[in-house]
Amino acid sequence: MNIIYREVDIPNIRELDVYVKNGGYQALKKALSMPRADVINEVKASNLRGRGGAGFPAGVKWSFIPQDNPINYLTVNADESETGTFKDRQIMENNPHQLIEGALICAYAIKAAAVYIYIRGEYWDVAAGLEKAIADAEAAGYFGRKNTTPVPADPKGNKPKYLGLNQDGMSAIIESEYFACRVFVHLGAGAYICGEESALLESLEGKMGQPRVRPPFPANKGGGLYSEPTVVNNVETLANVPFIIANGAAEYKKMGTEQSTGTKVFCLSGHVNKPGNYELEFGKYTLRDLIYTYGGGIRGGRQIKGILPSGGSGPVIRVNGNDDPILDTPLTYEDMAKTGSILGSASIIIMDETVDMAWVASKVIHFFHHESCGKCTPCREGTYWLTKVTDRILAGEAKDSDIDLIHNVANNMKGVTLCALGEFAANPILFTIKHYPEDFKQHTTAAGKLPAPAAGD
Amino acid sequence: MLKEKYADRIQAILAKYPPDRKRSAVMSLLYIAQEEYGWVNQQGIDEVAEICDLDPTQVNSIAGFYTMYSEKPKGKYWLHVCVDLACALSGADEFYENLKAYLEADVDGNSKDGLFTIEHAMCLGACDRAPMMQCNFHFHENLDLEKAKALIEQWRANEAKK
Amino acid sequence: MATVTIYVDDKPIAVPAGMNLVQALKEYADTDVPVFCYHPKMKPVGMCRMCLVELGTPMRDRATGEAIMENGQPKIGWNPKLQTACTQTVSDGLRIRAQGTVVEDGRRSIVEFLLTSHPLDCPICDKGGECPLQNLTMAHGPGTTRMVFEDKLHLDKHVPLGDLIFLDEERCIQCARCVRFQDEVVGDPVLGFHERGRHLQITTISDPPFDTYFSGNTTDICPVGALTTADFRFGARPWELTNVPSICPHCPVGCNISASTRLDREAGGKTVIKRIMPRQNEQVNEIWICDKGRFGHHFTRDDQRLMQPMIRRAGGAQSLSNWGEVLTAAAQAIKGAEGSVAAIAGSSISNEDGYVLRQLVLAAGGSMLGRWKPTHAGEDIVAQVGVGAGTNLGTMGKGDAILVIASDLEEEAPLWYLRVKQAHDRGATLIVANGRHTNLDHHSTATVRYPYGSTEAVFTDENVRKMLTDAANVVIIAGAEGLQLDASRSLMQRAAKFLSETGHVGKPNNGLMATFPGANAMGLGYLGFTAEATMEIAANPPKVLIVVGADILYDDPTAAEWLDKVETVISLSLFPDELTTRSAVAMPIQSFAERDGSFTNGERRVQRFYTAHSPIGESLPAWTALSRVLERVTEARAKLSAAAVMLEMTTTIPAFADCRYPELAKVVKQSPDVGGTDLYYGGTAYKNTGGLGVQIASAVESGAALETGAPVDASASAITVESGQLLVVPVTVLYNREWTFRQSESELMGGHVPAPYAEINEADAEALGVAAGDEIEVTTGGVTVRVTARVGLRAPQGVVLLPRNLAQAATPLIMGAGVVARAREAVSAV
Ligand SMILES: Cc1cc2nc3c(=O)[nH]c(=O)nc-3n(C[C@H](O)[C@H](O)[C@H](O)COP(=O)(O)O)c2cc1C
Ligand code: SF4
Ligand code: FES
Repeated sequence: MNIIYREVDIPNIRELDVYVKNGGYQALKKALSMPRADVINEVKASNLRGRGGAGFPAGVKWSFIPQDNPINYLTVNADESETGTFKDRQIMENNPHQLIEGALICAYAIKAAAVYIYIRGEYWDVAAGLEKAIADAEAAGYFGRKNTTPVPADPKGNKPKYLGLNQDGMSAIIESEYFACRVFVHLGAGAYICGEESALLESLEGKMGQPRVRPPFPANKGGGLYSEPTVVNNVETLANVPFIIANGAAEYKKMGTEQSTGTKVFCLSGHVNKPGNYELEFGKYTLRDLIYTYGGGIRGGRQIKGILPSGGSGPVIRVNGNDDPILDTPLTYEDMAKTGSILGSASIIIMDETVDMAWVASKVIHFFHHESCGKCTPCREGTYWLTKVTDRILAGEAKDSDIDLIHNVANNMKGVTLCALGEFAANPILFTIKHYPEDFKQHTTAAGKLPAPAAGD
Repeated sequence: MLKEKYADRIQAILAKYPPDRKRSAVMSLLYIAQEEYGWVNQQGIDEVAEICDLDPTQVNSIAGFYTMYSEKPKGKYWLHVCVDLACALSGADEFYENLKAYLEADVDGNSKDGLFTIEHAMCLGACDRAPMMQCNFHFHENLDLEKAKALIEQWRANEAKK
Repeated sequence: MATVTIYVDDKPIAVPAGMNLVQALKEYADTDVPVFCYHPKMKPVGMCRMCLVELGTPMRDRATGEAIMENGQPKIGWNPKLQTACTQTVSDGLRIRAQGTVVEDGRRSIVEFLLTSHPLDCPICDKGGECPLQNLTMAHGPGTTRMVFEDKLHLDKHVPLGDLIFLDEERCIQCARCVRFQDEVVGDPVLGFHERGRHLQITTISDPPFDTYFSGNTTDICPVGALTTADFRFGARPWELTNVPSICPHCPVGCNISASTRLDREAGGKTVIKRIMPRQNEQVNEIWICDKGRFGHHFTRDDQRLMQPMIRRAGGAQSLSNWGEVLTAAAQAIKGAEGSVAAIAGSSISNEDGYVLRQLVLAAGGSMLGRWKPTHAGEDIVAQVGVGAGTNLGTMGKGDAILVIASDLEEEAPLWYLRVKQAHDRGATLIVANGRHTNLDHHSTATVRYPYGSTEAVFTDENVRKMLTDAANVVIIAGAEGLQLDASRSLMQRAAKFLSETGHVGKPNNGLMATFPGANAMGLGYLGFTAEATMEIAANPPKVLIVVGADILYDDPTAAEWLDKVETVISLSLFPDELTTRSAVAMPIQSFAERDGSFTNGERRVQRFYTAHSPIGESLPAWTALSRVLERVTEARAKLSAAAVMLEMTTTIPAFADCRYPELAKVVKQSPDVGGTDLYYGGTAYKNTGGLGVQIASAVESGAALETGAPVDASASAITVESGQLLVVPVTVLYNREWTFRQSESELMGGHVPAPYAEINEADAEALGVAAGDEIEVTTGGVTVRVTARVGLRAPQGVVLLPRNLAQAATPLIMGAGVVARAREAVSAV
């Protein structure tokens, strides 16, 4: 069932009139008539988990926002830069209003003054489409300047504050009894780290995208956008919200398992015949279903060797050919965790028997080296060092002991970096070596080609 | 001057952020500077700094941190070929090398005729449509060398017409 | 102070609530957590990851908020990962394991990571020997490297960030201390990172580049040898240096400094100052100094110094002499003056110099004690309502208010500027009132403009009064820009009255400070030297005038005229200035670096400085020369040491009663603790071994009633500006051509002293047909000076800002009407 990719069933749902004809913006209307707390409770009850990778329950996150703070923000994480991830792009291209509606429901619930959609710079065209959708919906009066839906009075009599425009067209914080919230697209400019929520906020504030020290967390005063309490949610997470509000949490929970409710988009890429996005109900399907039923099987009829289920950052799953029972793992957060890996953002990269896992490790560590923000020592220096040694391994110049070296260096990065990127960067080395030591050993010799470092150097 | 030439766009960008948060506009303004001058040069940085009340050094930090700003002059057509893992599994590395050779590009990726700059990129969110490239940030997907060459020739022809 | 209990390796320790964990462990638990990026003067950023510790907190029941108990003890939830101590504040029950294998392993890998790309050129590195990275590597790092040499990144090692500070990119460990210092502390973000990941580098593309009054401080806080000063680069090794405690002689802040000295071959084996470093005094300058203090020390060894006594013999020509001859000649002249003896003391001569000078004048029957430059009045008023004992601008913040009036604080007292700016950052209300824009405006809560000449309106302004009266603590810092001497006194009276009426006197963080010129105007004020007396001396020249450490003729174009009327000028001077040539007797005196003594700063803190290098030429300390004259006048025995002079002062001058040298030399533990052998916070010279000084109690604190005299009516001196004229306002600039800074011209600071200029408003420039960069002639007070025109928004319409001591010739000391004429078109546009 597609509740996210509704364009599969309803062509052109990207257009406002089509979206509205099919129930669009009714959930927002409904939400605006509910007390804010009820909206949050409904989302909490649905057990909607964040689709950005960490799987944190969205409703719980919303409930952290202090309701008595005059200005809060919602930022939508549309940075989508993890290797193998392309799901949010499809939502924004083909069903943008559902994202906008979901974001506005959240904005209402957390009393956000404005919504910023932080979209990766490379999605230049996607951003243009999204901006048009926002303008269309605002012009139609669903929210923003022309909106006339009154919001329930605050028990304390405070009027909500919104970021609007004054008579001169200059930005200003205005008070309104109406849902005057506006939605803005903020274009990134090429930095994977800006998907990390606190780096995203830094970037949105016009700084280098370097993660912040926590606490305070984004939801706390002092930790969010412009130091105000802020919710950061993934695109897919918010696109689920209109369904939940329109149909109720109970209806939503009918899909999926106890711990993984609703549907999930799986980005399938690599050595499959039909790569692409597949929205599947949680728990109903296995890895095998995804790869063979939906992905059309492995290219050239070859055997499968490994799966990266969460792009470059999650641990690799070793698969011993097409009959490996591990492929029968159901697609849920909890079952994927049992494989020793994670579901993460569900960017599933399939690798067949022809793939050299040392090469994979090198590709991925180069990615993280390129994307390390440089703020903290272990990640900045570790990713650099690891690229140097993996390059040497692939060039056939390394010693056997260099495999232990990179394993140890990667291990030393774990647990001591400022943000999770450093942890992610260690994974490709640690798990490819763990699961495929032979792939590394084929490149190394006992002596290597470079002299040992001079003692004391 | 950007301030005059792009007054409306700049105004619209500034209007997105709270009045005392002009700094948030710096990334969007750098795109305008890049568009105007072809790359992010000192002139552009100084102008953006003035609009956002920043020191040029602060703006320079932004230009340097993000990969989509070019701090060097580049060809009119700026090509990015994704060679990240998912694309590489579909032959992107080879595609990139071949395309680069076709353009007779130097080490910095500048084509012999100066019209193109080709660079490889990390994942661009089009893994299911590899090999792919972006030209001035517009997607061109499901490519092979022949299709890419055709695009190149078409762009060349467009330029010749001008 | 509220305290909480934390447990360090199971030992309970009481620490102040809300304190940073690294600092709490260092100061209360005797536990050094190694750090690189953390600096107690800046916000923690948790970047370097060196300060890893194991952390646990008492677990609480989610629903009830009650502590969960286990075997009668609170159950501790230990963090699964190591945490950075620098980003934690202490909370009750916090558990810390700061040692053990887990922590040590973590730290070892951080050091290993840092060293992978570090060049390890310690043998030629200026920081070698006082380098936090070196120290922490020895303490926590691995013994050998696993990084292959070929893999190291090779980067540029000599990148000028300005012409005072150099960057070695290979050594930089990206801790961002310098970037944060410029951004957070100074508020001038001209340093930034460029690129990202391993390519992250410090850069500046600002114009001018890294050239702020505080730039040198970054080299102290840099935890490696990445930033070095052009002054000290490759100059000496830290372990050869002796750090002599001293006090900066340039301005009323009285920054505590260390003169790092060594015997130097280039100086013929003599002791020389290799560098000036800040010395920690939390109440005065914390751990900062300005670049004038840091780089402006070369004058002490300048070969232009006055080396030998001079005398004017019969016939008029001046010739070299010897001490015996000049002392006797001076004594004779004084004895023969029949009481018509007066003195003018430069504002940077020491308390001891001033005291003996005073004794000499009094002994000779004179009474006029003038202070130079006579630009500000009111030391007596500061003595009454000056800031209360224990005042520390560094603790002012939310709820407090500061008024800066008639001063360009950045130019007149840079460290006060820095500390006032930071107080504002912490939430203090800062009102900046002046006739024009100054840089402090950018950091103010409100600015007030008044027409030059009158400051009354500021104190009657409703808004200002409200902002000040609403505040818990109020400090007023008064300058005298654009004020005649009587108007300056009037301002001081008004400020005193306001403070006293609103109850903001006699307690810490309340009261009056003033940007008097020099390092010791306050001390001289206590000894009876005043600007008003100087004016009287000028009006009624005495037979004998003794001038100590004041370049009168360069400072005041009218001085030549009245000096001519003095029969005998006796001058004591560092340099052979114009006055020396005019004197009957000229004596070479020693700079602050060659002798010991004390200064009293603008906050009335008496602070000692110690002998750093050997005397230049035959110079003597001024007090020595003067006591020897006194000996010849009265037959009283000359004092043998500065300490002895001060000892006598403690009994004869009540203000100095508590200032015996051993008292001045006392040091108590300061927080943050930055001067230890750990070197985490950089700088070996921070440690204060010379004393924190003694603050003289204000009269109000001692119970005296406020007595500021009859209100001065300043309207008498109001200036009429005729049509076609402009008001010429002399202003102070930090980098100028006074002797004690001018000597650097050929050296480091030369390029930083601006070419003589005057600044006018755009509208005036247009009316006069003057463009920026044109050469103009400013005629006022009977003199004409030729300067370059600056045209800008700082000068109000109708006003010419004319910096003092920049031009070759003297410029008017005080404000007056004048005319501006274009002399020559700009050669190239500025
Ligand atoms: C290095 C790094 C990159 C990330 N990139 C993304 C991203 O591109 N998109 C995203 O939604 N979340 C990303 N995240 C997760 C976000 O930090 C955050 O958890 C998420 O946006 C929260 O939204 P959710 O609760 O709706 O999942 C990233 C996290 C890290 C550490
Ligand atoms: S782990 Fe990497 S990306 Fe994250 S803060 Fe550290 S350097 Fe930046
Ligand atoms: S991270 Fe704590 S000192 Fe650097």
